[in-house]
Order: sequence, then structure tokens, then C-alpha cells
Amino acid sequence: MLTRRWFANLPWGMVGLICAIALIGLAAVYSATYTSRGPGPLYYKQLVWISLGLIVMFLAIIPDYHTVGRYAYVLYALSLVLLFLVMVMGKTGMGAQRWLAVGPFAFQPSEFAKLALTLALARFFAEDPKQGGYELKDLAIPGLMVLVPLVLVLRQPDLGTAIMLLLTSSLIVMLAGIRFRSVLILLVAGAVVAALVFAVSPVREKLWGSLKPYQQNRIKAFIDPSSDPLGTGYHANQSKIAVGSGQITGKGFRKGTQSQMAFLPEHHTDFIFSVISEEHGFLGSAFVIILYLVLLLTGVDTARNAKDRMGALMAGGIVSMIALYVFINVGMTVGLVPVVGVPLPLVSYGGTSIITTFLALGILLNIKARRFMLFY
Amino acid sequence: MYQQDSPAAIQGRLPLLAAFILFVLLVLFVRLWYLQAVKGDYYQEQAENNRIRSVKLRPPRGIIYDRTGRPLVENVLTFDISLVPEDAPDLDAAIEKLSAIVKINPDAIRWALEDAAFVRSKYDPIKIQEEAPWDKVAVVEAHQDNLPGAIIEPEHRRHYPYAGLASHQLGYIGKVTPAQRKREQADLGLLTGQSGLEKIYDKLLKGTAGRRMIQVNAAGRKVKDLGIEEPKPGMDIYLTIDLDVQKAAEEALGDRAGAVVAMDPNSGEILALASHPTYDPNLFPRGISPKDWKRLMNEPTHPLYNRAIQSVYPPGSIFKIITSLAGLESGVINPDEKVTCRGSLKSGRRSFRCWKKGGHGSVSFHQALVESCDVYFYTMGARIGFDRIAEYAKQLGFGSLTGIPLPDEKQGLVPTTEWKKKRTGEPWYPGDTYINSIGQGFLQVSPIQACQMISLVANGGHFYRPMLLKQTRNRETGEVNVFSSNHTNRTTLDPAALQKVRDALAGVVAEPGGTGQRAATPFATVAGKTGTSQVIAQKIAGQKLVGKQRDHAWFVAYAPVDKPKIAVAVLVEHGGQGGAAAAPVAKKVIEEFMKNADPKMVR
Repeated sequence: MLTRRWFANLPWGMVGLICAIALIGLAAVYSATYTSRGPGPLYYKQLVWISLGLIVMFLAIIPDYHTVGRYAYVLYALSLVLLFLVMVMGKTGMGAQRWLAVGPFAFQPSEFAKLALTLALARFFAEDPKQGGYELKDLAIPGLMVLVPLVLVLRQPDLGTAIMLLLTSSLIVMLAGIRFRSVLILLVAGAVVAALVFAVSPVREKLWGSLKPYQQNRIKAFIDPSSDPLGTGYHANQSKIAVGSGQITGKGFRKGTQSQMAFLPEHHTDFIFSVISEEHGFLGSAFVIILYLVLLLTGVDTARNAKDRMGALMAGGIVSMIALYVFINVGMTVGLVPVVGVPLPLVSYGGTSIITTFLALGILLNIKARRFMLFY
Repeated sequence: MYQQDSPAAIQGRLPLLAAFILFVLLVLFVRLWYLQAVKGDYYQEQAENNRIRSVKLRPPRGIIYDRTGRPLVENVLTFDISLVPEDAPDLDAAIEKLSAIVKINPDAIRWALEDAAFVRSKYDPIKIQEEAPWDKVAVVEAHQDNLPGAIIEPEHRRHYPYAGLASHQLGYIGKVTPAQRKREQADLGLLTGQSGLEKIYDKLLKGTAGRRMIQVNAAGRKVKDLGIEEPKPGMDIYLTIDLDVQKAAEEALGDRAGAVVAMDPNSGEILALASHPTYDPNLFPRGISPKDWKRLMNEPTHPLYNRAIQSVYPPGSIFKIITSLAGLESGVINPDEKVTCRGSLKSGRRSFRCWKKGGHGSVSFHQALVESCDVYFYTMGARIGFDRIAEYAKQLGFGSLTGIPLPDEKQGLVPTTEWKKKRTGEPWYPGDTYINSIGQGFLQVSPIQACQMISLVANGGHFYRPMLLKQTRNRETGEVNVFSSNHTNRTTLDPAALQKVRDALAGVVAEPGGTGQRAATPFATVAGKTGTSQVIAQKIAGQKLVGKQRDHAWFVAYAPVDKPKIAVAVLVEHGGQGGAAAAPVAKKVIEEFMKNADPKMVR
């Protein structure tokens, strides 16, 4: 299995791309968490996470991806159990229960759930092909598969991850093929619900009231950032100032006034991209976007060359997931998307997110490495 | 493999995915270009001016009042001189200038900065001089432009107007320790309760910090106020303590070491709780000096010790109450039976003395308890058996915590034959029964336990958890939360036996020959029991004991006899005879309490 040939067949270009993005992220974390006494402890932790992530990624290449597919439902069930555990005994942070304490580490099951759901949906659609696309009734089971983790994540409450789960699954359904008529019905139904929510005030108030105050504020602040420049609008505003003031060439490594002066909250996690933009300017941030673009398009190519539905759907699903995370996260830091708190894959500080992303990319590499192989 | 496993249909849609990815990333690309290239100068300027600073606003700590609304602590506004190193472009020059103006060694300032470096966040001010005198505050204010980074921070500081009074309950506040900082995410320099009620009720008292957002110029000076989140002051708390009774207790103790506990036997409310010697809690909020701390720690009288709950002593003759109850209830003591006391009791080769050298003569139960005849209780103790007496002692709360909401209560000890075997390997001798039956030997009791015991006698066996917090009041809304007494247990005492004991206890104070006559007062009828616990086991005949060898004096009492409203326990360390040293203290406390018997609560 681990022959020289296998080794030579690995898509090293893609591995290099992944490493490049992770290293840029590491440098940004280094800058963002630097203290007057030298590099902060989070930098070293991130170093450990990335190293572990690389190991996980290479391990994920070894088994045939069909084996991964075979365990997709098990992984999915496991992620549900973990999400349930968070609800029962999770650690609370920033007004939400998102973490499970595993010894000294905090594990965030919602990060893991997004990958598990992607794989499970890929398997479902791979095994249940429908000529001419899926009808609404065919989508009952996958719909349920999305709904359960979605509700659990919303209960935490983690609106950001819930939205990501919904968007990622929608893209996978599109890829798997859905009848145009079904799309229309869904859109109309969505529009009706939205109309109900906005036009019927009891429903609207009920829904609005079910949001946590910080979530309400985030939405309010997105609609009108000046409404609360010190509260939640503050994040978005400060982030925009950080990005904009980086101008073309940036202020230089560890010279970003916004990030170094701690105007930017969460600058090593959700707002890490602002640090890069501020310190390395348009050149730096555009470079990172281009790296992602190449990585994602290579991923699409992987899906296109996959030998079967399972491979194509898994690869497509993983690419969709990462693309959405990049778009929502960066969109948030540049003020295009409300602040929902999702990490930038490979770059944001955070163990669960880093390792899950590496695992996903490992599966993608796996599919790519096996594009020439025969399975039967 | 699966049927129709051709990926062709899916792959046909992949260009759409690629297009989607291209599109969204292009959107980001354009947006970045817009922000960074087109509007870059604008945001650059914003960043330049973006010196928004969040300044922590510390909430005033809740005030602690006595039960009638008299403040036992105060908040005093003081000013600290602090330094924000990030605002000083040339830190060394800034330190030199500041040190010249506030007359502090520049190295001391550097140490302060070094100390804080690990724990502070950027732009957290570091305190250079706390409670700076007015002239220095004025100078720093006046030289603002010459002193980059130096600021004046107003702080509420705790002041304890009565100094040592009730110091052991009130406790004190001090700087957060690193461990607390981590646990509670408290900010640098915050003062939190470190002992006593200040510690126990810290969560109520501390309030919630607010913040002010200000825009500052390059030197860190405020240019504009942007908004304020008001701090929420801590809750005011009202104790069950009555300041007058507390004062009376402390004055009566004087400079003797000892403790007084007074509580309402009908609710467990602590009316006074004194421990002498006291310490001055005002030493702590500023950060106690190493010299003062050493002095407090090395003082042979241990002023930091709360003797009322943390020190245990042999109960001496107050234990005869328990021996009596055990004997009467079990039927071993026949109240009419007389025992002859000739000043000592011989057992084998040893002789056990009565405190009265000449002996009490022929005494019945009532007289024996009134006059505290040791020989009578040696005799009865031996008949009852100590394990049975120990049962009663435990039933009346000895050997277990009372649950008073103060830190580090000691539970004392009630010995049993089994305990002695385990502990020393030696069997329980008859002599052990004798001396423990009169409260000497292995027994260890704290003043709060003694008070609880006499309170049980007064109220017929109702356990109330001793309570110090009467009510809280929200300073902003005026909302009052009254705490009710906590009835935790009921121990069944034979009413007939209890009545006989109560009659005798009243006799201790009221009858001629009673050992506690000095507790008698015109304000109320008093029932009580003296105790003298030996520090040196057997006295050498004719030698007068002095200082550290003198006995501890005990007195427990309740009043009025028919409808008890107050239960008191007094312990005077090395005070000598309980009747002479401790009973007068109890008398003062009862008098002060009875003077204004119905303390009205202030809402």
C-alpha cells in the first residue's frame, strides 16, 4: 500500500498549497497573539494543532475513500452524540455552550459535525441516484439528516454554524441534482415563511425573541452598523478599519495598529483575516484569496475526475463546505456578511477547526490520489 | 458496486460549482480592492484617529450594615497614580519624570511594570502609587502634558470605621490573588473579599464593572467621550449583628483574649460575635505591608484567629448540662437522690477533686448543678457511662459544625471509648469518664457550639443554622431580599428532664450558692452555667496559677428565663473562674440586648 509509487502519486502540489495557507495562518496567529514577553502561548498551541492536523491529513489518505464512505453514517451518529453531550455537559463561553472539555482541551463538536454531515449526505446521494434529479419526497431523509444537527447546533446557540450547515447541505443537494420544480417549490415555501416572519408580527416577535440578545444585536448592527458603534457594530467597524488601513502594501508584520492595539476582538480566531489584511495590505490578502481559489478549483477538478458518484459527491461537498467558510468568514471581516462567528479554514486559531479542515482535505487528497485507480 | 454509479450527472454540474466559487471569491477580491485601494486613505485616517480606549469603571462595593441599619464599613473615594506604558513613547524618560514628581524610586516603578507585565492586557493602567496624597494628585493632573502615560484613577476603598470591632466577621478585602484572577477573570488591581463576610458574600458585594469608551490622542489623553456603560454597584447587606450588643460584648471582654457569641435562640440570628484580640481590617485594602503582616502572624495571641468559631477548648463545667440531660433522661439520675461531696472522690489509687476544697456536703441534683459540684457529676457520669453522655453531646451539636457562614469553622471533639482506643491505643479508664463528665479531658468545644448548645436548652431542641445575613438591598432599585431563618433539625429532649435542668440553670444565677450570680441583672431573669476549663490538668496544691497556666473561664446563658430571647456563650482565655471572669461579660451583653429588646429592622 505505502509503496514508493503510491507516495509519488500523491498530489504534492495540493499538499504544498495547503501547507502554504496553514503557514500564513500560523504567522498571523503569531502576530495577533504576540505579547511583550515574546510569542504568546496560543501561537505554540496553534503550531501543535497544525502539526497534528498534517498527520491527520496524511492518515486520511491511506484508506480507500470508500472505506471513509462506509463509516460516514457512523461518524455522523458520533457527531450527533457529541452535539448532544455538549447540550448536557458542555462548557459555556461567550454566552453559548459549544465546547466539550476533553482533559485540558476544549473540543467543539459543531466543527466536527459539519464534516460528518457532508460525508453522510455524500454517501446518501451516492447510493440513491435518481434519474432526472431528486424530487421533494426523495429529500425527506437527507432533510432529516440536516435538521437534527441543525437544531442541536441552534440550541447551543450557534447561529453561525447552523447557517453554515444549511448552506453546505444546500450546495450538496444541488450537486447531487434536484429537479427544477423542487427548487421552485422550496424557494416559494421559503419566501412564504420569510413573508410570514416579516409580515405577521406575532410570529416575528416570537422568532426574534428566541434569539439571544447578542444575536439580535449582531443582526441589528449589520443592518445599521452605526446603531451601536461600541457594542456589536464595533467588531465589524473595527475590522473594516483594520482591512482598509492596510491599503496596498500593508503596515508590516506585527505592525498592524488595529490588531496589535487590541481594538479588534477575537483577532486570532474569527477576525484573523483582518490581521493579515492590515499587516500585508491588498497584496497579502489578495494572495491568500488566490491561494484559496487555486485550492478550491483543484478540489473541483478532483471531483470532476473522480471515478464514481461517491468520490465526486464527497469531493464536491468538501469543496463547497470550505468555499462557504472562506466566503462567510472573509465576507464578515470586510463587512459584506453579518458577524456570525465562523472560523477561516486552516488559518483561524482553534484546534477542532484546524484538525477537521485537515481531515476534510485529507479525504479530498485521497480521492485525487485514486483518480487513476481501478476499484473493481 | 452500485447501480448507475456513473458520476457523469454530478460532474456535469461541477462547472457550476466552479463558477460559484469564482464568483464569491471575486466578490471578496473586489471588496478588498474597494476597502484597501479605493478607500484605503480614509480607513488609514480612521485607524490613525482610532484610539478608542475602554476604561474599566469599578462599581462601588456594597455597604455592610448592622441589623438596625448602622454602617459597619464605608467606601471612601481615593485617587491612585497609575501609568499606561503604551502611552509613553519614551518609557524611560516618562518613568524618570514621574518618579521625580511623585517622589518614588524609578526602580520601584519599573518593578511595578515588570510585575504587571504578565497579567495585564494592553492599555491596562498599572498602579504606581495607591491612595496618593492630594498634593501629588494635583501635581500629576497639572503636569499631564509633561507626563505621558501617567493618569489618575479614582477608586473606592474600603474603610472600617470601628477598626477592630467585629473584625473577624467582617473580614477584609485585598488585591485579587493570581489564582482568583484566573478563576473569576477579575481585572488587575481589583480588591476582593479575602476573609470573613467580605469573602463569603463577595459575589453580592462586588457588583458589576462598567466601562467608558473614550477617544484618546497620541499621548493617551481623552479627547472625546463615546459612551458609557454604568457600573452596577454591589448589594448592600444587613447583618443580624446588633452594633450595640457587639460593642457591649467587646467592651466587656476588654483586652482579655476570648470570644463572645450571642444569638437569638428562636431563629439562629447571630446578635454579636466577638473574638479578642482583634486586628484592624483597615490594614488590608491598601495591600498590607510585610511588616504589619509579620506582626499579625507572629503575635502570640493570634489576632487573626476568629476564636468564636476557630478555637476549641475543653468545655469545663458547662458540660454538666449535657451530663445532667443524659442522666435525667436515661433515669440514672434521680433528682432526689443525694450524693455526699467531701471535696474529692477516690478511685483506686487516684483521687479526683471537687473545685470546692471543703466539699459540698450532701447534695441533690438541683444543688449539684447550681453549685457545680464535681463529685456529684463524677459519680453520675460513672453510672451513666461516657459513651451514653457522648451521644447526648453529639445530639446537642458538639463535635459537628454549626454551619455558620464564616470560613474555617472547627468542629471540635466528642471522645468515645472507641475513639480513644483508635487514637491512643489505650483503653478508656474510669478516670477518663470522671474528668470528661465534668467537661475536662478530651472534650473540645468552640464558643459558637457552646452558644448553640445553650440555645437548644432555651428553645427545646430546635437547631437553627447560625445566620449572619439578614437581608440584602439593591442600591439602585431599592429592592430588598429578606433571608429567613434556617431550621435545620430538631432534637427530641425529654421535657421533664429539660425543665429540671432549666430550673437549676436559673438557680445558678439566682440562688445563693449559685456559681453564676454575677450574671444577675435587673433587666431580665437569666439562666446560665459557669465553666472553668483546666489548662494544667492537676493543680499543685497551694500554687497560684498565673498567665498562660490559668484556667479558661466559660459562661453560657439565656434570658429571659421563661421566654428566652437571647442565648450567650462567653469564653475568656486564661480568665480563671467562669463565675468571676465570664459571667459578668454575659451580663453586660444581656443587659445591652434587653435594653432595646425588640430591635426594629430598618428597611
